[in-house]
Amino acid sequence: MTTEIRPSVTPALAASPDGAPAEAPTAPAGDAARALGHEARPVVLETRGVRKQFPGVLAVDDVSIQLRAGEIHALVGENGAGKTTLIKIITGNHHPDAGQLIVNGRDVVFSSARDALAAGIAVVHQERNLVSRFTGGENIMLERIPSRGRFFVDTKALNAEAQRWLDRLQINVAANVPVSQLSVAQMQLIEVARALSHQSNILLLDEPTASITPTEAAILFDLLRRLRDEGVAIVFVSHKLEEIFSLCNRVTVLRDGRVVGHDQDVAGMTRDRLVTQMIGRSETVTVLPDRPDHDHEELLSVHGLVNETGAEGVDLAVHKGEILGLYGLVGAGRSEVAKSIIGVDRMIAGEIRVGGIPAKIRNPREALQRYGIGYVSENRKEEGLILIHSVAANVSVTIWRRLERLLGWIPVRAVNDAVRPYVERLDIRTPSLATSVGTLSGGNQQKVSVAKWLAAKARVLIVDEPTAGIDVRTKGYLHELIWELAAQGLGVIVISSDMPEVVKLADRIAVMSRGKVAGELQNTRDYAEMSERIMAFIHTNGVANSFGVGKHVPSEDRPAAGAA
Amino acid sequence: MTLRTLVRSDWLGLLVAVVGLSAGLAVSVRQFNTEINQYVVLLNLSVTLIVAFAQMVVLAIGHMNLAIGAMGGLVAVITGGLMERWGVPIPLAMAIGVASGALMGLVNAVVTLRTGINPFIVTLATASVYSGINLGITGAIPFYNLPAEFVAFGQARTGPIPHLLVWTVVTGLALAVILRTTVFGRQLFALGGNPRAAELSGLPVTRLVIGAHILSGILVAVAAILLMARFGSGQPTIGQNWLMPSFAGPILGGAALEGGSVSIIGTALASGLVALLENSLVLVQADPFWVEFLLGALILGAIGPSRFRTLYRGRGRSRLATLQATRGLQP
Repeated sequence: MTTEIRPSVTPALAASPDGAPAEAPTAPAGDAARALGHEARPVVLETRGVRKQFPGVLAVDDVSIQLRAGEIHALVGENGAGKTTLIKIITGNHHPDAGQLIVNGRDVVFSSARDALAAGIAVVHQERNLVSRFTGGENIMLERIPSRGRFFVDTKALNAEAQRWLDRLQINVAANVPVSQLSVAQMQLIEVARALSHQSNILLLDEPTASITPTEAAILFDLLRRLRDEGVAIVFVSHKLEEIFSLCNRVTVLRDGRVVGHDQDVAGMTRDRLVTQMIGRSETVTVLPDRPDHDHEELLSVHGLVNETGAEGVDLAVHKGEILGLYGLVGAGRSEVAKSIIGVDRMIAGEIRVGGIPAKIRNPREALQRYGIGYVSENRKEEGLILIHSVAANVSVTIWRRLERLLGWIPVRAVNDAVRPYVERLDIRTPSLATSVGTLSGGNQQKVSVAKWLAAKARVLIVDEPTAGIDVRTKGYLHELIWELAAQGLGVIVISSDMPEVVKLADRIAVMSRGKVAGELQNTRDYAEMSERIMAFIHTNGVANSFGVGKHVPSEDRPAAGAA
Repeated sequence: MTLRTLVRSDWLGLLVAVVGLSAGLAVSVRQFNTEINQYVVLLNLSVTLIVAFAQMVVLAIGHMNLAIGAMGGLVAVITGGLMERWGVPIPLAMAIGVASGALMGLVNAVVTLRTGINPFIVTLATASVYSGINLGITGAIPFYNLPAEFVAFGQARTGPIPHLLVWTVVTGLALAVILRTTVFGRQLFALGGNPRAAELSGLPVTRLVIGAHILSGILVAVAAILLMARFGSGQPTIGQNWLMPSFAGPILGGAALEGGSVSIIGTALASGLVALLENSLVLVQADPFWVEFLLGALILGAIGPSRFRTLYRGRGRSRLATLQATRGLQP
């Protein structure tokens, strides 16, 4: 069946500002495109010798890539390899210093993201770009809200048009639901719908799976495969190599801003070769050493915690020298539990005990100073770090009181001396202690946010998604670090939606779903076994798929795919 | 300070501008070189600089204080009233004046913290409250009979240097020490740099907000008292024209409006530059209204690049995200 990617849109909606219907680039017919070999598929997007210099960094240098219709093309590399910069050049957010951009055989120069969109290039950026108070439909139609008369929003037409796109993409979300009520994964799908609704035949996705679970990712992948078969060219950026192998056809590897593996067939790739290209040497499999047995003294326990942000009776305990994995879907209430423990989110009911003694923790300051509990936020830019301040200031923020001399005076040298051991121990790559954290790479930023809690000598550390958006190598370092902390007798709670990570690190795994701990498992570190048992807990709780819960579009209202 | 850090510093451009403009005026405008002219410039500067500092400390935590002028007026009235009506000794009257400034800062902070309303609206409202009290007490009539020693101090000078400037310099140095070398100062900057991270890192957020506003109130009081001494009277109108210069100094001096980054040297140099520009317009007998025009234009000119800097810093974000951020919407 030949499938056309665009639904029939009323001219008024699809029209460009001057009233002429938007010119839709023709997508090649699906089956025909698939039947063709790689070489036979038309190149829809090409960069030649693209170069971009930022102050102090040559972000991409002489990068040439080719993207063909009907393919999912992985773009991989470590943090700071230049993937995001390249994407932003293609989407008109950055202007390249040198090189050419060729779209559908024509040389183009984009001066803004709008130009790229007009050329059929759509993008889903790493960061969420939805207006949370608007509905999904309003977000999809944001740039071309249909109006009645000249001034009034035609809500009906808007929802109808947006819904047509959602249905067309088989996204099971109603257009009139505010984004704030959707799950992270649903937001992701809304973003894809918005991107494609601009008549795009080229779709770029920058780490779309960083904050969604494997189950949710699978739904996104189904959608991407369908789009591929319809002839859309897709660029897919991810740190999760399993995804590259299961989803993508081609792979281009970037390292230090240069292409080190050009347009390779994924089928002929091995994981080892890919990693070697990415990091410039073969992957050293870190075998985490045995940890000394601690006396299993209970450090922190939570009993029947209920809060306003989603926890509905949570019980947890972490012991000395133990790593507790807290696994759950995004939106299961994991971070909220952590925030209640440290006194940010208010508790409605329940009890927290520290060392067996009931504790009233009113704010993060008490959590740290009185009870020795630290929380490394999943959101390092918004909640963890002061980006415009120096490495020294960020690491020492928790210990200034300890460093203070007469009348609150703290000598700069005292701060630097206190900070240096942690910078060295965590191998934070920074030109100097005075360098502002915002200029460091993501992995190094994450190390800074861990370092400040080490400096604070927390006894219990809650790390929330410690390796989200972090490359393979740095991820390994961070895992070793968490391991070592537990070996030294800290109680560590690792909140993660990265199942391999939880299985690798945790001694016990608590599975959270719908505001409760659905079950707790002793970790055997056998991935196949553990992942099955973890998913079983989530399934029994009825939320294996958090898409469209309670928001189903009645099926009779939905036209069959492709029929629109 | 090494040459390198000097060249890298944000305020080198301002320093060059101040030196250049002074030199230019000295060469081209004869009256600029008179002792009395220089005295007047420095006298103005000794007050506006402290006013600028008062705004700067709240800008450091990402707040602002629109009540600065109203607080100054009320402090002047309280201090003047104590000296004239009740014959309270000068040091005691001054101390009470400073304490009342601190109290007004405390009120600003507590209302902001308790209601969660942003400081822009809170201080806009308290400004009206403070000036209402001021005019209610005085009926807009100044206290003219201030003690002679107090007035004499306000007018004293050595060559072109007004003795008031000594107080300003001492205040500036004390502030520099507090902000740059103490735990409190570091914590203020951390709070301004990222309030959420500061809270999660266990900083005493409430205390810091209160501290910053109290410090602002104290600085306002110092400025008001110096200005009284200079005028030789406790005018209820003191502070009425402070708002613009209070922002001009810190912003031209490179403060980030989002908080977390202010420069004392920058603020001082920028206030100096503004004073020189005003003086040069006066000397060439330009219409005084142009001074206001110039101040406004300068601030816009300074905010433009700083806005651009923020956009650039957030270059990872799309225009929409930036829009959301600037409008306070949740992305």
